[in-house]
Amino acid sequence: MIKLQNVNKIYTINKNNTITALKNINLEIKQGELIILKGASGSGKSTILSLLAALSKPTTGEVIVDNKKLSKLPDNFAALYRRENIGFIFQKYNLITNLSVKENILLPLIPQNLEDKILEDKLNLVINRFNISHKKDILVRNLSGGEQQRVAIARAMVNDPKIIIADEPTANLDEKLSSDFCNVLKELKKLNKTIIVATHDPIFFNLDFVDKIIDINNGSLS
Amino acid sequence: MILNTEVLTIFILNILFLFFASIAFYLSIKIYLKWDINSTTTTQYTLEKQSVLTATIIKYIFALKLPLFLFFIFTLDNLSNLITGAMCAAGVVDATPYGTYLFILKILNIYIFGFWLVLHNLDTKDETLKYTKIKFGLFIFIFLFLLAEIILESIMFNAIDISKMVSCCGVIYSSTSTSLISYIFTLSNTTIILIFYGNFILLYIFYILKKQYLFSLFNLFFLIVSIISLIAFFGTYIYELPTHHCPFCYLQRDYYYVGYFIYILLFTGTFNGLLVGFLNTNNKNYFKSSLLFNTLFVLLVSFYPIFYYMKNGVWL
Repeated sequence: MIKLQNVNKIYTINKNNTITALKNINLEIKQGELIILKGASGSGKSTILSLLAALSKPTTGEVIVDNKKLSKLPDNFAALYRRENIGFIFQKYNLITNLSVKENILLPLIPQNLEDKILEDKLNLVINRFNISHKKDILVRNLSGGEQQRVAIARAMVNDPKIIIADEPTANLDEKLSSDFCNVLKELKKLNKTIIVATHDPIFFNLDFVDKIIDINNGSLS
Repeated sequence: MILNTEVLTIFILNILFLFFASIAFYLSIKIYLKWDINSTTTTQYTLEKQSVLTATIIKYIFALKLPLFLFFIFTLDNLSNLITGAMCAAGVVDATPYGTYLFILKILNIYIFGFWLVLHNLDTKDETLKYTKIKFGLFIFIFLFLLAEIILESIMFNAIDISKMVSCCGVIYSSTSTSLISYIFTLSNTTIILIFYGNFILLYIFYILKKQYLFSLFNLFFLIVSIISLIAFFGTYIYELPTHHCPFCYLQRDYYYVGYFIYILLFTGTFNGLLVGFLNTNNKNYFKSSLLFNTLFVLLVSFYPIFYYMKNGVWL
């Protein structure tokens, strides 16, 4: 269960210049739900995602995930929380293009110092699920956009996170690949993952497996 | 005033420490007074961010101050070449009325800074930050000790007059000394050895019985007893000279810098021992580290009389 209680977020540029990104946000997301955060650029969607991922803290208010007060976690514990609970899918994939598919996917597992056998098992599970096993030794820069997207999803899933966060995941994809991505979301939902997607792509607004579409306008929920 | 490279280095570092410690002091007061971990206000979130910065400043000051104690001794040793009559650091310490107090304060600060670092380490391992308020409250108090050390150090170096003749360590550490040190020589060697090894055996007994407070208390006694034993008994075997009792000369090259090993082992061992009581813990690591370093210290200092006896067939 994810809860945002009276959350405000203000970015301070300097003493006389502040930007209010979120205004008194109250939100509840249940385990296994697929939530779409809808809104124009600069509306505060990505700020909510960064709070849920413990990448930043609110200016006031509280973020609670599974009864853990995320907004009160010290940085080292926030990193641990992210490592164990969160899978990220970024708009521009954020893959390391000089590394192979396998190396990119295994990156989130490096801090855990797992045995080679366990790493291999985790890798095989995700590359088979997302149909990229035949590309595992190829450098990421030699892949197509759609394939890179699948590598990014595989990387987000390799640590078996409870929560998957996607920030404008289809912004760089054509209609066919965007539709493929929606199918991937459906698969992930079947695995009882909590999924939060920030987007303004209309393709997500009519999906029958989406639990909630939340409109954000100028930092407020509408 | 004396201003060689080493003293200048100490002065520059002290200015830097004072500057950063003053910032940390101001922020520590703010954090200590306003900290409320359950609050979700802007003030609390700001304090949480500032606490990370402040703790980092303090951590680096203390982490640098610990090895700088050895540099301080090294500096005093070097200065002894410039001061008439001084043969080692002891002469420099005795050259002004402030030297002895500064030396005692520096040793005390090593332990206090060490305790703060351990407390900070525990705090960073706790996601509820339960030691944060305590550690910053403690720093407000420690800052005064740091300030006192810096001021006293500056006064001492300023007061050194190289044209003035000082006593050498042979005079300072003798039964004819006018200071408290002369009382050490009223004890017989047998008494000192019995107290030294007896105290050491008690540390093992309290470890086995898991009596953490007694273990800590006897580590404190062991620190004092060890320094007395070094002056009165073991030092003479390191120098192979029954009249030479200086606790500084074996820090010099002539004795292969063995003094540094002796003091590092003693301070590390007793520090870990004191931690057991300070943290009220039965954590085996602290017990074991304390016993390991104290045992190595005892083995090292015991080696000298045994080796001397084996070589010469007599005790000093």
